[in-house]
Amino acid sequence: MIETRHLGFRYAFGKRAVLSDINLQLEKGETALLLGPSGCGKSTLALCLDGLIPHVIEGEMRGEVFVDGLSTRESSVAELASKVGIVFQDPESQFCMLTVEDEVAFGLENLGIPPGEIGARIGTALRQMGLEQERRTRLDRLSGGMKQRLALACLLAMQPDVLVLDEPTANLDPQGAAEFLPALATLKGQRTMLIVEHRLDDLMHLVDRVVIMGGEGRILLQGMPREVLATNVDLLEEQGIWLPQAAELAWHLAKAGVRLEPFPLTVEEAAAALRKLPQRPLSRDVEEASSPLSFAPPAIELRHLSFAYPNGTRALDDVQLTVARGDFFALLGPNGSGKTTLAMHLMDILRPPPGTVYIQGRDLVALSTYELTQQVGYVFQNPEHQFVADTVYDELAYSLRVRGINEAETQHRVEELLAEFGLAAQAKDNPFRLSQGQKRRLSLATMLAIGQQILVLDEPTFGQDRRSARQIMEHLRRLNERGVTIIMITHDMRLVAEYARHVAVLMAGRVVYQGSVRSLYHQAALLEKTSLVTPPLYRLAQRLQQENPTFPDLMTGEDWVRAYT
Amino acid sequence: MHFFEYYERDSFLHRANPTTKLMAVFVLLLAVIMAFDPFTPLLFLIFAIALMCGLGRIPLFYILRTLIPFWLVAIGFVVTNGFLYDVTKVQTPTVLGRWGPFLITQEGLEAGLSLGLRALAIVSYSMMFVMTTAPTDFVLSLIQQARLSYRFGYGILVSYRFMPLLQAEYDTIRAAHKVRGVGERTGLRDRYQQLKRYAVPLLASAIRKSERVALAMDSKAFGAASARTYYRALHVRRGDWLFLAGVVIAVVLIIMGLAWLGLLKGYGIVPE
Repeated sequence: MIETRHLGFRYAFGKRAVLSDINLQLEKGETALLLGPSGCGKSTLALCLDGLIPHVIEGEMRGEVFVDGLSTRESSVAELASKVGIVFQDPESQFCMLTVEDEVAFGLENLGIPPGEIGARIGTALRQMGLEQERRTRLDRLSGGMKQRLALACLLAMQPDVLVLDEPTANLDPQGAAEFLPALATLKGQRTMLIVEHRLDDLMHLVDRVVIMGGEGRILLQGMPREVLATNVDLLEEQGIWLPQAAELAWHLAKAGVRLEPFPLTVEEAAAALRKLPQRPLSRDVEEASSPLSFAPPAIELRHLSFAYPNGTRALDDVQLTVARGDFFALLGPNGSGKTTLAMHLMDILRPPPGTVYIQGRDLVALSTYELTQQVGYVFQNPEHQFVADTVYDELAYSLRVRGINEAETQHRVEELLAEFGLAAQAKDNPFRLSQGQKRRLSLATMLAIGQQILVLDEPTFGQDRRSARQIMEHLRRLNERGVTIIMITHDMRLVAEYARHVAVLMAGRVVYQGSVRSLYHQAALLEKTSLVTPPLYRLAQRLQQENPTFPDLMTGEDWVRAYT
Repeated sequence: MHFFEYYERDSFLHRANPTTKLMAVFVLLLAVIMAFDPFTPLLFLIFAIALMCGLGRIPLFYILRTLIPFWLVAIGFVVTNGFLYDVTKVQTPTVLGRWGPFLITQEGLEAGLSLGLRALAIVSYSMMFVMTTAPTDFVLSLIQQARLSYRFGYGILVSYRFMPLLQAEYDTIRAAHKVRGVGERTGLRDRYQQLKRYAVPLLASAIRKSERVALAMDSKAFGAASARTYYRALHVRRGDWLFLAGVVIAVVLIIMGLAWLGLLKGYGIVPE
């Protein structure tokens, strides 16, 4: 159905080729998963398959792409659009109309389909994606998960044989992803699909073939998922590619001498393989460490904090929360539950009423901006928003200079930070030109320049590949060990399991849980209500606990390896 | 304060074809602009509100509340003209009073009243159009009836969709810079610096967003096929022509009535 022959591409004005010598063949009805580190050319390949390259995007394409026997070079965009459709990552910027119905109609109108038939096709496509109730809904009223299903519905209406999905769940919260993936699963076998994705645990059962791309825009290997993953984990690790957690666990256990057979790709498979093992896990070291932190003086204390936006939306409702000094704290909850609103009150971005927010024991409203920024650093989700200078060096020096610190000391401190965050080689570069990982590290470094003792982070690993995400989290762990209090907003339950000590769960502006991570995972009803999803490795332990109630509560890869060796 | 925006309702004006409705609004605006006396704009203001309530089924209270800021502007016109009217324009100004160096003249108050009421009437007709016209219908009608290029039309729709997103982004950038310890600046040079700092990330994101949308549209064959169809066809119906004709007749009647009563004080190019 899809074939590429020696495909290569270089963007106009690009220094080097983004893709080289890509040879790929997808059979009709096959579902392929494309993996690779960030910046390796996955998205460019997706654009080539869709025909946007070479028709729309300027650059130099080598080789050939055939879709259903048609060369993309020789077919028109209109012909290609009814053969291949593409879902993009960002749900906000792939629509051009204002309502669901108009949006689905858009592509069909472009193809010149008669109006009567358009109506029927809209109905069918929306029903297939479970959106028939939303036909006349305005797009800005849809959740992220609904928007991505709509994106898929728009394509289905155009009846393409091939679907290309470029990180369709990357911008969704766990609930949105949990809505989207089953909708995608209904298409398996009916369409030929190429999926670029990071969240693999709930996707692997759909995948027939895995294609791995490396840093140079080449295909490193491809084949059946189990074969590729079972024998090449080292390579994938080295490339910084996200893996299904079951596979990662099997690999870690194998290194420790415990082999899981057959090599598992999903939680179910891992559970089956673990049952067959002769060893039984030891439950040492997994019991909850008593938390002496609760006796530490609070770094942050919220007392009866409520907040409503001017339009009347109640975002925070009588929030009581204490974060101990030196804690690694995670703020959880579905989109729109008030996490970011809460965090903004810690930084006076939204001004709290007197007597509701205390930073290191002092009422926030009594602190000047100068004093507050001295104590609290705040890292926004999009690092670009925080950049104020033209070079990386000046970016780091900025906060120091604003405070009137002399140039010699500034230089000393900036060089320290550059070295610590691995940005020394980029000191003279423009912050906007850095890679995603570098941008994130820079925004982190700027927030530590003046020795802040409290760090608030909004989705610190968002959009990062595996290597970069790990680097960032290890930085945070080291800072935390030095006594910095970390508060992070996140959707990633794996990060929570691996790094956080305490969590609070927000739901409709109220704190519905505050305590340790492990006891949160025990509260199935609460998790369900707040649409939080426990990390795959914990689900694995739960599965085994169903048969064997004494099976230990293993949360992280480390827990598992320790229990089996 | 809330600006006027589309007010979802089912009414004659909401169903009316946007292009002919726009033509009617132009006729009304032209009639208002040419008046120099206070009575013509007053009548047209009342007519606008009557149309919105009657044919548009928008609650009177809502209309008046939305107009509040413009009432204030209108009052400002009356006051400033009352005090500052150039008395040399008329041979015998009627002086009503004196306040310090200022003369309060009847001619000044009248001119101010006319100006203020004209401003209000103009705002009301624009409001009538915006409140009763769904943006998508407006653009579709411009494409289908007024022969606007559809590429341009869809461009307008996309930017309309992006405006709230960019506003949200601007708010975030402001907050993010505050966190860096960048206070809001007051001096002229500092303001320029600040504008530059906000502009770079905002532009970067706007460009990225529009590139993405353009790609998404291209991938759905926008502009690729020779003939584009429209799922929702907008037509000019008999009611639309009748409405346009009715508006023209109403305008003529209002002007003639005022002239007959001797209340017109110079109209359009007709000298006083």
